[in-house]
Amino acid sequence: MSAGQIHDLGYKRYVGTRRSLGTRWTVIMRHQLATAWHGWWRFKIWLIGALMITAVGAGVMYLATNKTLQMLAGMGGRQVSFADGALAILMPWYGRIGFVVGVFLCSTVVAGDVQSGAFTFYFARSMRPRDYLLGKLAALVILMALLLLAGPVLLAILRLGLCQSTDEVIHTLPILGKAAAVGALGTMVYAVVPLGFSALIANRRYAMALWTAYYVVVGAMAAVAGAFLHPMIGALDLSTALGAVTLDLFEFRMLGRHAVELPISAALISIFAHAAVAIAIVRWRVRGAQHAGIGGSS
Amino acid sequence: MTASAPLIELDRLAKHYGVIIALQDITAAFDGKIIGLLGPNGAGKSTLLKCLLGLLPYQGRARVLGLDAMTQGGEIRDRVGYMPEQEAFLAGMNAVELCTYAAELSGLPRNEAMQRAHAALYYAGLEEKRYQPIDGYSTGMKQRVKLAQALVHDPEILFLDEPTNGLDPRSREEMLDLIVELPVRRNCAIVLSTHLLPDVERICDHAVIMHHGTVRFAGTIDTLRGARGRDSELLVEVKAEAAKLGAALTAAGATCRVTSPIALEVDLPADATSQLVFRAARDAGLQIRELGVRRDSVEAAFLRVLGEPPPPAGLGVA
Repeated sequence: MSAGQIHDLGYKRYVGTRRSLGTRWTVIMRHQLATAWHGWWRFKIWLIGALMITAVGAGVMYLATNKTLQMLAGMGGRQVSFADGALAILMPWYGRIGFVVGVFLCSTVVAGDVQSGAFTFYFARSMRPRDYLLGKLAALVILMALLLLAGPVLLAILRLGLCQSTDEVIHTLPILGKAAAVGALGTMVYAVVPLGFSALIANRRYAMALWTAYYVVVGAMAAVAGAFLHPMIGALDLSTALGAVTLDLFEFRMLGRHAVELPISAALISIFAHAAVAIAIVRWRVRGAQHAGIGGSS
Repeated sequence: MTASAPLIELDRLAKHYGVIIALQDITAAFDGKIIGLLGPNGAGKSTLLKCLLGLLPYQGRARVLGLDAMTQGGEIRDRVGYMPEQEAFLAGMNAVELCTYAAELSGLPRNEAMQRAHAALYYAGLEEKRYQPIDGYSTGMKQRVKLAQALVHDPEILFLDEPTNGLDPRSREEMLDLIVELPVRRNCAIVLSTHLLPDVERICDHAVIMHHGTVRFAGTIDTLRGARGRDSELLVEVKAEAAKLGAALTAAGATCRVTSPIALEVDLPADATSQLVFRAARDAGLQIRELGVRRDSVEAAFLRVLGEPPPPAGLGVA
């Protein structure tokens, strides 16, 4: 091809306005959402799973609050506490889905970008590390909230709809806040922490393995140590910490005692500390990539 | 790009990594349509590019298109395109998606980004292949995508890092054709960082040579090649029998090297002028077609500049 054969559709200097620097993180967010939505295994199939859990939960709630069924069960129309507790019982199932999506989606984000050289692509443009972090984080939080927050909140709304009286609605209303709080914490755990793991290692597969090993193996060890040595150690297991918060908020009691021995404060500290460390790791990795990713031939 | 301001201005620019001096009090101004940025490994080219893009803090001042690189790095990167040497793609995307995303990240609205992505890819010669996933592209096609993504947001300067690396001779020629046309067709200047000096010789009008964190030369290619400073080294072309002229000049005290039946290189003796060649040709009955001061190839000039002592710190080189 000589210069005379160059294809050119014509050229005009762009004179329109450009999106402000402060909003460009939304482009990254939109791209991450589109990437997750592309194909079935990254997100869609797990969203269907979360919908199925919600449907099962809704059915259980309906049956548990249906007067006819209650009468048939010989319970004399007495409110069955299982309807209120269904949400807390279902949360671990939402958590399992969150963990799987965390493995396949969240724990590969930064590692994948390091592996493919995407940081050079990003930082040759007017992107700042915080734009990248904000964009990725916002997308993962939205996706995870669809799995872990939307379902419980829907169930809480349904529970309120199944109330027989205004008094019962007022009495049951806190369940909405509790569902939102537990869903939000779950969203944070399963979106933010694996993102931190994705920044620890520059290989997608290893990052997935690392997050899985930490959550499953280290988590199980911490849970066992918490059960036999000291309850506080159990807070290191994110699943245990999240479960402790859930059971405490929904006031689950076993034989009149708290269902878990881990104090809610310790569980919350563990969850927020995990999230803070994860964000710090991503920030460190991305800032390093910004300085290292661009350059002339050397 | 204003008419008066140079593309790049450096004023006592310095960058230290601990005790390592990456850039050493550089004061210079770079201008031109296609500027070759040359230097051996570790010369400071990468660090200079990072400073110019506002990605690294530094001492002194650096301005690109009249903008301060320290405080206006974001604006500079909106107006500069960068084609990296290494692969810098996003997994699973095709070329249209990548270039549209690149343009959007540079602030263009989505529709404009999409249109410009198609135009840039068409210019880069990808045509119908632009819808195929980049993962399956050949090296040449990937280089074209990298050029397109650097162009897509309408930059005023393009930094191209080894754009012909890994290309076969034909693809290399095509890539150089695309690059050399950019200042004309897209009104953008180019800074070409490369180790391939024949590429510089072929397409650059200016060169910047860096060594040990300093700029050893900044100016036109003609100046670089002709900067031997000796009018006594000549290149002579005759109609025929160059050897006969060589013998005559040798007898007159010159040193000659016949390079072809019609050309020879001549080093005149001290105090002699080119008149000696004309006289020798006349006496030998030969006709001179061309006579000029012998100029270095870019490669020879590059090696010569690297061998010269560095300029005093803080002194302008441009």
